[in-house]
Amino acid sequence: MTSPSRNGNAPRSLALALALTSAFGGGQCLSAAESNPAGLEFFERKVRPLLAEQCYSCHGAEKQKGHLRLDSPGAIRAGGESGAVVVAGDPAKSRLIIAVGYQSEDLKMPPKQRLTARQVADLTEWVKLGAPMPVGEAPVSAIRKEFKITDKDRAHWAFQPVKKPVAPQINNGKPPSANPIDAFVLAKLATKNLTANASATPRELVRRAYYDLTGLPPTPAEVEAFLADKSPRAWELLIDRLLDSPRYGEKWGRHWLDLVRFAESNSYERDGDKPHAWRFRDYVIRAFNADKPYDRFLREQLAGDELATPDADAIIATGFYRLGIWDDEPADRELARYDSLDDIVATTSQVFLGLTVDCARCHNHKIDPIPQQDYYRLLSFFQNVNHYRNGGPTDEIPLFTTPEEKAAHAAKVREVERRRDEVQASLTGLETLFRERLAKGETTPKLESAPHRDLDELQFRYYRDTWDKLPDFTLIKAETVGKLASGLFDIGLRTRNDAFGFVFEGALIVPKDGDYTFHLDSDDGSRLSVNGKQIILYDGIHGEGSEQSATVRLSQGRRPIKLEYFQRQNGLGLTVGWSGPGFTRRALSASSEPVRAVKNKSPKSDFAQLIRTEGARLLGVEQFKNYQALKKELEQLKPERVSAEKALAISERGATPQPTHLLARGNPALAGDVVEPGFIEVLNTPAPILPKPAPDARTSGRRTVLANWITSPENPLTPRVMVNRIWQHHFGRGLVRSTSNFGTQGDRPTHPELLDWLASEFVARGWSMKAMHRLIMTSQTYRMASRGNAAALSADPTNDLLWRVDPRRLTAEEIRDSILAINGTLNLKMFGPSIFVDIPREVMAGQSQPGKGWGKSPPEEQSRRSIYIKVKRSLRPPILESFDVAETDRSAPVRFATVQPTQALGMINGGFLNEQAEVFAARLRKEAGDDVTKQVRLGLQLVTTRTPTDAEVQRGLALIAALRAQENASPEVALKYFCLMALNLNELVYVD
Amino acid sequence: MNNQQPNSAQPAGDFCRRTRREFLWESGAGFTGLAMTGLLTVDKFFANQANAATSSTPFVNPLAPKQPHFKGKAKSVIFLFMYGGPSQVDTFDYKPELYKLDGKTIPVKTFGRGGKKNEGRVVGPKWTGKNYGQSGKWVSDLFPNLAGCVDDISFIHSMMADSPIHGSAMLQMNTGKVLSGSPCLGSWVNYGLGSVNENLPGFVVMLDPTGGPISGAKNWSSGYMPASYQATIMRSAGDPILDLQRPATMSEASQRRFLDTLKEFNSEHQAPRADNSNLAARIASYEMAFKMQSSAPDAVDLSKETEATKELYGINDKRTEDFGRRCLLARRLVERGVRFIQLYAGGAHNDDNWDAHGDLVKNHTHHAGRTDKPIAGLLKDLKQRGLLDSTLIIWGGEFGRQPTAEYATGTGRDHNAYGFTMWMAGGGIKGGTTLGQTDELGGSAVTDRFHVKNLHATALHQMGLDPDKLSYFYAGLDQKLVGVEGAELMTKIAS
Repeated sequence: MTSPSRNGNAPRSLALALALTSAFGGGQCLSAAESNPAGLEFFERKVRPLLAEQCYSCHGAEKQKGHLRLDSPGAIRAGGESGAVVVAGDPAKSRLIIAVGYQSEDLKMPPKQRLTARQVADLTEWVKLGAPMPVGEAPVSAIRKEFKITDKDRAHWAFQPVKKPVAPQINNGKPPSANPIDAFVLAKLATKNLTANASATPRELVRRAYYDLTGLPPTPAEVEAFLADKSPRAWELLIDRLLDSPRYGEKWGRHWLDLVRFAESNSYERDGDKPHAWRFRDYVIRAFNADKPYDRFLREQLAGDELATPDADAIIATGFYRLGIWDDEPADRELARYDSLDDIVATTSQVFLGLTVDCARCHNHKIDPIPQQDYYRLLSFFQNVNHYRNGGPTDEIPLFTTPEEKAAHAAKVREVERRRDEVQASLTGLETLFRERLAKGETTPKLESAPHRDLDELQFRYYRDTWDKLPDFTLIKAETVGKLASGLFDIGLRTRNDAFGFVFEGALIVPKDGDYTFHLDSDDGSRLSVNGKQIILYDGIHGEGSEQSATVRLSQGRRPIKLEYFQRQNGLGLTVGWSGPGFTRRALSASSEPVRAVKNKSPKSDFAQLIRTEGARLLGVEQFKNYQALKKELEQLKPERVSAEKALAISERGATPQPTHLLARGNPALAGDVVEPGFIEVLNTPAPILPKPAPDARTSGRRTVLANWITSPENPLTPRVMVNRIWQHHFGRGLVRSTSNFGTQGDRPTHPELLDWLASEFVARGWSMKAMHRLIMTSQTYRMASRGNAAALSADPTNDLLWRVDPRRLTAEEIRDSILAINGTLNLKMFGPSIFVDIPREVMAGQSQPGKGWGKSPPEEQSRRSIYIKVKRSLRPPILESFDVAETDRSAPVRFATVQPTQALGMINGGFLNEQAEVFAARLRKEAGDDVTKQVRLGLQLVTTRTPTDAEVQRGLALIAALRAQENASPEVALKYFCLMALNLNELVYVD
Repeated sequence: MNNQQPNSAQPAGDFCRRTRREFLWESGAGFTGLAMTGLLTVDKFFANQANAATSSTPFVNPLAPKQPHFKGKAKSVIFLFMYGGPSQVDTFDYKPELYKLDGKTIPVKTFGRGGKKNEGRVVGPKWTGKNYGQSGKWVSDLFPNLAGCVDDISFIHSMMADSPIHGSAMLQMNTGKVLSGSPCLGSWVNYGLGSVNENLPGFVVMLDPTGGPISGAKNWSSGYMPASYQATIMRSAGDPILDLQRPATMSEASQRRFLDTLKEFNSEHQAPRADNSNLAARIASYEMAFKMQSSAPDAVDLSKETEATKELYGINDKRTEDFGRRCLLARRLVERGVRFIQLYAGGAHNDDNWDAHGDLVKNHTHHAGRTDKPIAGLLKDLKQRGLLDSTLIIWGGEFGRQPTAEYATGTGRDHNAYGFTMWMAGGGIKGGTTLGQTDELGGSAVTDRFHVKNLHATALHQMGLDPDKLSYFYAGLDQKLVGVEGAELMTKIAS
């Protein structure tokens, strides 16, 4: 959760530069100078006072920014969090000197006020002298406190294995409950001499059950049916029926969506749409409705793509990784990649494990026994994940519901590829023939004006930035993108001669099967790839002059080719060529010289023009017609266009992940030791055995290893955390109140034995969530009344001991859905792309382009359940926003339940409520006829799910009468305001 | 539990300990009822409990006034957000050398929207200026009116931010973080202090007529805090607050009758549930909403202001009318105890705000021209009413601009987060002062460098809040506006 220090003021640390030359060890470099009296005097007279005056405040006894102290020789020798600050005799390599010289934009010390030139010169001189310092001064106390996990840490309750406790015996003179939950609760109450509330009334219970399992109120008929059912199993049957209802997944899926920060846009300036995100929402609803075992549910989200035979849902589930915020133009791209990984680590650890491992991104966890290594060990499971790009082949994965469909799709792609190569072969043959005849001919035009071109459909992406090595261009937003009609790699399209880069991609036309040799020279670095494989890597800063070559076997047809190139400073150039069977070296690149500085344009190939004018003559009419037809066909032969449904999903960069480094202060520029994947150390789990995937595997298999550990029945956290969440949404709070934090600063469980009993039941019942609902809801504890009593309120005002069921306010979605249900227009259509409800113009005005990214759904679509409303991060419908819908930028384990006057304003004056009140009134007129008393009675019954008293009906009638008299309101208008009043009742918004 | 302070930091070694209130929030007890106890004095809370039985509980406001950490100089903040990023060298940061270099290509490291560059064509400042006031502060000719106020202003020329990109830089200027999802400065102030006027929101944002800034509502979001702390958008014309207007077919008298009926139902419902203070709070919230319907329009009603005042703010001139109205409205809100008011000068995209990539002269002439007189009027008006000492004014954008051109031709400047100018006035800030410097080109801060979070820390401090103590427990951590590492104050200008 904490952000690592960025290049700001105070945190712009010396340590940053320290990392740049971390090869230099600590104190051994200094020994030569230690017995140099003149040097020592220089240190005492010039250097030490200067350090004291300028540096001690941040690098002394009080503060040790970057874990660096400069207030004693020992400390100076020890260096900072990633190594030495002084290299004796070498000011250029001493980060102290780099820092005070303001030589690096990323490292300026002191941050606020530059030292004088004299002061910098003194420090430089001292380093040149060998950095003499006295020996034997008492070393300062160790700066880095070793992080040791103690027995006390390991003894924390949540880290203990789940052991199924025996339910206590209760002797209260009543027949014992069949449900052990009650025994645990009653035993605890008995210790405080408190008694459990009596049962709620059946009417209260049926309403509670409906809202808890479906998020909707029962209809009056459903209430009456339950009340009429006198069978002993009526309650169980009701629960079963509600669990079987598709509405269940829409209610409980929403809780999960809160946890995994579900949203369909990216936030930031454009807040662009995430492709296909709605499929993830549907997946979650389906999973809950199907009672997908929780371990399988997690496994699919973490590593569904790595299952042996992943079905469509297993792919969609991995959209889990793609739901977070995403800045499409971050100031620091590498940091942004780690921010994205942090989002995954935070969500995974908090939601699945109830641990805030993300607190250890920049330093060891301040409270929990979670060393910084744990964070990076966990992160390394995700290191290989392709960074999010908001679409494209790494984020959008085709979906197939059956293996046959998948095979059929693959066959279709192969057929397109085969035909494409076949067409290309014919075209190449015709073009060769054309060239031969043109060369023989005496007439103009000459072939020289249309040299051979081997690259087709060539595109370029142009970047401006400074690099020392080829960056991962996929992470960078290109400045300009365009086509290269010339068919040559061409860096002449640059806008300047320094600090730029190009990526070219296109099709290489391979005339026949055989060995081809590629030649590459560049200033500075470049990389050539064919068929998705790197052929030549010539990275780094260098001039031209030592051409690199490599030979590869290629088959006839169109092969994808990619060239990446960057230029830093001074001199530039790019020369690419190839040779192969039947032809000597031909150029693939244009001359580097001119800066044409035009956008999206390059010289056109003249060959196309030439064959257009001369083709019929030289090839004959028939052959030329054939040529043109083949050209046209080729346009259509795009394997990527073979249609398929797609999901927002994960992908990895191949079989072998890059190493994960521990990053001091979470700063990617401060890479430290390599960290291997591993589990939370305090849990004493054996180190994971990592798979060795085949070299051409698409993923590393690491996420499966993590999923196996998280969903292992032995994992002490996973089952406890989830049963606690289920409890939370039945009782308004978890047995552990801090539902996403089971660490040492989280709350202790109010009923630890009950929690463990439930956790072991959860695993024993195959991780079935519906089984847990049944278990909890059939307890007497769940059926208690919510009313307060003086004795219990004074002994246990926060209901820690569960002497009652806490009343609760409906969630934002429940309020909106209930209003639609009450007025009879709720559209129960499920699934599919999200809907757009009307948002007032005044709210849209807050956008920089009002209305952007928000559509308009037809009225019947707008009446669907709230879970289907588009989740756009920067624009939420006011009724949801005002009633505390979840914030989506991070995991939201709990909803607020605020009470604010702005809610009241929306509920009495807002457009949505006034429209719905009219619809409600129309329903009453339709179902109750013209009799106002009947209208009022029905209205109150629909809102309260009970028969209203005569006094209540009279009160409603009095309002209508008053409005009619006072305002001369029509019966319709008066009834509408009565309906509006009814929809505002506390009785609607609160559940007993 | 009866801690009256916003949220005292725990002693060292007790870093992440939770307060009772926090655990109640996180456990979903919500905002009112029991969870309110931490926000209120215990006496008041129990008084409310007692009242609940008689169903006459006053509204329990999450924004109820709270004691500051110490007595602050300022009671309110007006943040004049120059969205898009004004150029420092063309406004307040005088760089004589830069005029001479106009048109020359020189080596200079810059980092803007167009990436990192090592050289660039200098665009000399396009305005001359003069020294003003006792402090002799140089101000460019863009601000002839504001120039008369320099002795009340402290200019900070050495501001730095982490991002030269609008989206993340806007978020950082408002929330301290370049990542989306954290509460705004205005949310923190209201969380820490509450609001003394319960009939008006405590955090108000007024947008430019051209539209909202990019990222929209994320710029005034309360992030992980409850929605009670997010800003309310207020309009200087028409319906000032969303849903404030009664439906056309409902008169005030009818609405009173309507609310009385609602209250009867709700009171009857509440009677057997007297311990549930949420029910009483909700009943009371309707009464407060009813009152807001008259108090909010009154706050935005400028008809009672004198002609002289309107003239002072430039309301009688078409060019300055919009921003003038909003500045005057800001003063009226300050008078009514609103804690934090943010005005966007500029909206939407490109030249609708200060983002002068193309024609600098046209852009800045427009935006300075429509804000100079209103802002000067605001400062003078607050001063003459004795409100300036207790009102902190912050002026600035999400970053500044480069000394060099962005494109091959033209006067447009790219973004610059390495060094830019903001200014503060009032609220205990020492006027007539200048803090920090940029280099001779005006491109990078070199002395007394201050990050956005130092500005935030100073603003909180002036309001009587200790930036290192004002914390909110979320996701396992005591979150702070200034981050876990804290931030130093701008001590030379704060008092």
